[in-house]
Amino acid sequence: MNILKNTKYIATAVLLVTLVSCNKFLDVKPVDSVSDEQTIFDKSSAETAVRGVYRALAADSYYGVSFPSIGYLSGDNVQWTGSQSIVQQFIDHNVKSDNATVSSVWLAIYTTINRANYVIAKLPEVNDATLTAAYKNQLLGEAYFVRALAYFDLARTWGGVQIVTTPTLSASDKNGIARSTVEQTYAQVLSDLNTAEPLLPAPTTPNPVRANKETVWALKARYYLYQKDWANAELYASQVITKTANYTLLKPYSAWFANNAVGTKESVLELAYSATYTNGHRGQWQPPANSGTRQWAPNTALLNLLNDPLTGGTRSALVAKTTAGLWYGNLYYRSPATDPAYVLRIAELYLIRAEARAQQNKLDDARADLNLIRDRAGLAVTTALTQDDVLLAIENENRLEFALEGHRWFDLVRTGRASAVLGVTNAQKLVLPIPIDQITVDPALTQNAGY
Amino acid sequence: MRIFIPVEKIMALKYALIMLLLAAPLIGLAQTEPPPTINSVLKGRVFDAANRDVLPGATVSIKGTTHGVTTNSEGRFEFVTGQKFPYTLIVKFIGYESQELVVNGSPLEVYLKPSSQILNDVVVVGYGTKTRKDLISAVATIKANDVKNTPVAGFDAQIQGKASGVQINSNTGVPGDGVFVRVRGTTSINASNDPLYIVDGVFMNNTSLQTVNTGGRATSPIADINPSDIENIEVLKDASATAIYGSRGANGVVIVTTKRGNFNARPKVSFNTLQGVAWQPKGDLWQLTTGPEHAEIVNEFYRNSYADAVAAGNTAGQNTYRNVPFRALTDNPTLTPAPRGLPSEQNTYDRLDKIFRNGKLQNYDLSLEGGSKDTKYYIGAGYTKQEADIKPIDFSRASLKVNLDQRVSDKVQVGTSSSISRSLRTQGRAGDGPAGGLFQSALHTPTYLPETNADGTPARYAGFDNLQVLLDNYNVHTTSLRYIGNLYADVEIIKGLKFRSSWSLDYDNYNESEYWNDKTQLGASPTNGLGTSAITQNSAWINEQTLNYHTVFNKKHTLDVVVGNTLQSNIIKLTSAQGTGFPNNAYTDISSASVRTANQTYTKANLSSYFSRISYNYASKYYLEVSGRADGSSKFGANNRWGYFPSVGASWRAKEESFLRDYNTISDLKLRASYGVTGNQAGINNFAAQGLWNGGAGYPDNTTGGDKPGTAPQQLANPNLKWERTAQVNAGFDIGFLNNRLNITFDVYNKQTSNVLLQLPVPYITGYSTYSSNAGKISNKGYEVGINSTNIKTANFSWSSSFNISGNTNKITSLPVPINQYSRDWIRMQQGYSMYSFWLYKQTSVDPQTGNAVFEDVNKDGTITAADRQILGSALPKFYGGLSNNITWGNFDAGVLFTFQQGNKVLNLNRFFGEGGGTRDANRVIFASQLKRWQKPGDVTDVPRLTAYGNNYTLEQNSRFLEDGSFIRLKSLTLGYTLPKSLTQKIDIQSLRVYVVGSNLLLFTKYTGPDPEANVGGGQAVQGIDLGTPPQPHTVQLGVNITL
Repeated sequence: MNILKNTKYIATAVLLVTLVSCNKFLDVKPVDSVSDEQTIFDKSSAETAVRGVYRALAADSYYGVSFPSIGYLSGDNVQWTGSQSIVQQFIDHNVKSDNATVSSVWLAIYTTINRANYVIAKLPEVNDATLTAAYKNQLLGEAYFVRALAYFDLARTWGGVQIVTTPTLSASDKNGIARSTVEQTYAQVLSDLNTAEPLLPAPTTPNPVRANKETVWALKARYYLYQKDWANAELYASQVITKTANYTLLKPYSAWFANNAVGTKESVLELAYSATYTNGHRGQWQPPANSGTRQWAPNTALLNLLNDPLTGGTRSALVAKTTAGLWYGNLYYRSPATDPAYVLRIAELYLIRAEARAQQNKLDDARADLNLIRDRAGLAVTTALTQDDVLLAIENENRLEFALEGHRWFDLVRTGRASAVLGVTNAQKLVLPIPIDQITVDPALTQNAGY
Repeated sequence: MRIFIPVEKIMALKYALIMLLLAAPLIGLAQTEPPPTINSVLKGRVFDAANRDVLPGATVSIKGTTHGVTTNSEGRFEFVTGQKFPYTLIVKFIGYESQELVVNGSPLEVYLKPSSQILNDVVVVGYGTKTRKDLISAVATIKANDVKNTPVAGFDAQIQGKASGVQINSNTGVPGDGVFVRVRGTTSINASNDPLYIVDGVFMNNTSLQTVNTGGRATSPIADINPSDIENIEVLKDASATAIYGSRGANGVVIVTTKRGNFNARPKVSFNTLQGVAWQPKGDLWQLTTGPEHAEIVNEFYRNSYADAVAAGNTAGQNTYRNVPFRALTDNPTLTPAPRGLPSEQNTYDRLDKIFRNGKLQNYDLSLEGGSKDTKYYIGAGYTKQEADIKPIDFSRASLKVNLDQRVSDKVQVGTSSSISRSLRTQGRAGDGPAGGLFQSALHTPTYLPETNADGTPARYAGFDNLQVLLDNYNVHTTSLRYIGNLYADVEIIKGLKFRSSWSLDYDNYNESEYWNDKTQLGASPTNGLGTSAITQNSAWINEQTLNYHTVFNKKHTLDVVVGNTLQSNIIKLTSAQGTGFPNNAYTDISSASVRTANQTYTKANLSSYFSRISYNYASKYYLEVSGRADGSSKFGANNRWGYFPSVGASWRAKEESFLRDYNTISDLKLRASYGVTGNQAGINNFAAQGLWNGGAGYPDNTTGGDKPGTAPQQLANPNLKWERTAQVNAGFDIGFLNNRLNITFDVYNKQTSNVLLQLPVPYITGYSTYSSNAGKISNKGYEVGINSTNIKTANFSWSSSFNISGNTNKITSLPVPINQYSRDWIRMQQGYSMYSFWLYKQTSVDPQTGNAVFEDVNKDGTITAADRQILGSALPKFYGGLSNNITWGNFDAGVLFTFQQGNKVLNLNRFFGEGGGTRDANRVIFASQLKRWQKPGDVTDVPRLTAYGNNYTLEQNSRFLEDGSFIRLKSLTLGYTLPKSLTQKIDIQSLRVYVVGSNLLLFTKYTGPDPEANVGGGQAVQGIDLGTPPQPHTVQLGVNITL
């Protein structure tokens, strides 16, 4: 071969290569994700984004497992029976700021808020002829409701927190936000609820997997209860209770969760799971014989109460025993793991109203609500006489009615009874520590006292 | 009776046939020459002076003329020349000392001595080769033959202790699993820290394609390569060697050269087999409590916790701990916890015995190599099967390798390297995670618990599987079908100027299947069988063009120039399906499942590069080299796509100076220095710079409609994301004494990495936890010493030693916020500390009066909070290395290799779970070390009082579980015997060697677990965590090596 010929080949090869290696070659786009510039721009993308908000609310680290677990582990119903020692930190009220559950819940709640913020920021600007004003309002109202719930949970767990109301567009655009007070945080909750209420329609048929106007009332009832605004708590609870076509106390007690029931009239808001989106909760409760880890289990005191026909009644269905004699919680049991997360049940509205009425010294009305709950559990009417007795009876009813849901700790903290019932004498321990890594990464964030 | 046929005849016939077959197409290329004047005819043969093998391919020429010939496959040459006897003949062959001799008649026998000098060894460097004496950079060479018999699947694991500056940790005893490899330290946090592996020019994928959960461990793509096909391995360490690989070079480059034939070489058939066994001596394993001991501990935990609950007025706690569980079965049987019988009534069940076995090891390699005038070839076939010493894990690999080079004309050569392999793995979960976990069942299950329930059915505890059921029903299989191939053409355009174009492909079809039937925990009712199937396809192609120019001018100036470009593209596709709800255990295909879900991912990255290197030397004395590379990557935003990576190096061969030339004690002295910049972009997400949303956040619109699609933000954009940059200074010298019988190589380096690619934590209030960022600086400074010594060399006996030691100091010099790793945040990357540092509460003592653990109150606020956690040691060693000795004595040979590592810490998480103070009761085994717990005032121990309350056992990150992982290990021991040639040649065998290889036979360490190299896995940011990890086995193999 001669030189000329070779050179010709090489020149051709080099030319080819240079042509290919233009910037087009380096412009590679993903196929299973989209740029965040085109997220909410029409009806369909608005709908998918709102579903994404609910999926965040239902994440294992939020309403799936972790957040309810803080509520019951910190109470007096559950004992640690697994390998994760951090569980015992809640039971022992000796939570460290490096507790992984605390950190994961904090992240999950703010992830939910960010998704809601995207909808709240972008949806109003969407112009799509197929997106009716009513539907647009509904989607927007749902985002406001979820954000209200998220800030409510932050406030009752940590106290005042940083308030973020815009979607995050860059890593630094949430720098320098200081913590609000607990009052300001609750004010944000109320503001979002007030915004959501007119936007959301009342449901034509029961649909507890999504928020609607009545869901807002239910959360408002709980909100006012926490604020000790008894009149409003009673008012909003009544508004929900009167919608008997949508919500009713199911009998027997287990009817709202047993036999793979979903979306019953017991639920005002329950989050949905599927084979694709499972709920890890069962794994923490179920014993190895049922393919769980039984990380925690009902403690002796709770077992005694639930199994006592005079206190637990049909609520004994919440616990079960293996052939080897191991007791376990059986509220979350399904396979695939599709147990709903129960956020608001009608039973809670009755007990909210009972408490609000008792506080207003409407003791007969209070007892009537309480007795509905007791009756549903197969128990006789309450014998409580004085206001204090009635309030204590409601407290004890709450303990068993929501034994495996995340209520007990927050109830005892809100009523100021954590010291008397749980022996938590150090008031600083009534809120959880801010995750230490968040303190490290965010100079604007301060730790709760005592941690 | 024996039929006697002259051996020579058989051989001649055989060779003639083979030659004919291979050379037939080439005959047409033979050239004719005009008849010369004949004054003498010289016939002769060239042999290896050491073993008397014939030497095909040696060149024989007459001094002062240009006339030369090459020996043929039998080492014969024939000379027809116009010269008259006597004249001086020069005989040369690579790897042998050249010989000049005066000849005065024919025939002639020439014996060449193998070169004792290593200086003329050819070293493969980026886009070229150099002789060792011309080398400026720090390159370690490992002859594959020395290590290939160690029974680990990948060559990376085999070279442990053989090269300075290369730290290799086995991680697990599972054959074919990934190992920890670091060349000169760890440079990145989230971008890859693995070196670039190049096999015959193919940039091979080294990222595991595994998707099945094996408890954190991952398979190694390196294991797809048969080590027996490897000729040698070079590790390029400093920037002057690696900068030509630009963005791929920051973690060092491992260049693997496989065997190729030789032109004019007779066919050589080699067969090698090894048969052996892998086992684990029981004495090295974990020491556990007996059933009664376990019961005593738990009862004591209950009694102490009850007392604490009483003291604290905690009624719920009193209820919980009032009754000890290990009490007589008749003692309040209705109270919780239910009675389990008195401690003395407990049995002890040994599960470790059931999981360990004697694993069978077998290996077969068959190869053929040789060449004709214009063709050379290597064909290798191999099969290996290695059973782990724990059930049910095994690894097998069948491989075929074909390397072929063809001279098309005197200016053009084309060639190909191809290897196809099929790696088949039976995998097991041995690491973190309860379900299906082998050591969770075998080790972490309390010893008092029987294998069966009262009704005789297999019992499951603590979220772990029943061991026997697990072992009987394990069904996790992976097949990796891998093709690695390269096709090249070399063209000599004009003398000294060569053009090369090559195309390479690395394709891996990685097929995984898992089936958990209803007897296992994962598949048990109500799941009713869990099946997963995943196919991952990795295809990476590379196209490369280089121009190479070599010239010598004015006799003393040598100049080499390389310029080139490459294009690379890498696509990974995953398709997987999962099913639950199988009719029964006979149905294992996902199509039989009642609930089916599927998954698909696709990712792609492209890289376009231009590079050049200019090397100059003056009189083989002064060397200067400059190289550079520009890389454009699709991973970064348009503004930061291109990165530029220059380097410069110089060396001075002082030995060539007049003042040293005649000083014989020092046979070589070379001083080297280099500086350069390399980059890193591997390991990060292909779309890391982009702000993305994804699907996969579906949710129903109502209670009956089922999931509808949903979208959610996935990651924050960082349009400024760019290359990680590592600048490295290297200085070193090579010195040889006594005709290079003693060689010392010494290097010091300073590697500074900036713009470290990492997932930087952002405040969670953003709704994200991290984002891709260039946010840190990491420093690695170290030294490397390599000593090779031929201690004794006589005709019949030789003893050589080689020793290497390397130290590296790693430090994160800048990081905006600390980054935690692994569950419980055991590991923390923090400014001012080494990578892989452990973040713990420091237990200083156990109060002899109260029995409570005392922790160091770092901030002196009087209480132990997370602020008191501190960094206590790192998983990285202060220094490491290896010592090998090789002895041959007559026909016997022996080799011994020790490896060592000093100063690394290991977090013993098995002990963390096993020393939980009874808090985990029936959920975890209790280690025998728990028996040392504090029991009464005055007890002095480091194991605190048993209780559920306070910090004794709920403060998890306790420094008590951090142990010294330093070790010295007898890595391998080989004894061989080569049958005398006189004997073997009679049966037509060139050589026959039988040998025994042992590995990991001795271990010296303070670590209380079985293997200080154990690492649970969980990504590159996790190292030094031992949890449920199979320790490396002891092995012994018997081998036979036959060459025909």
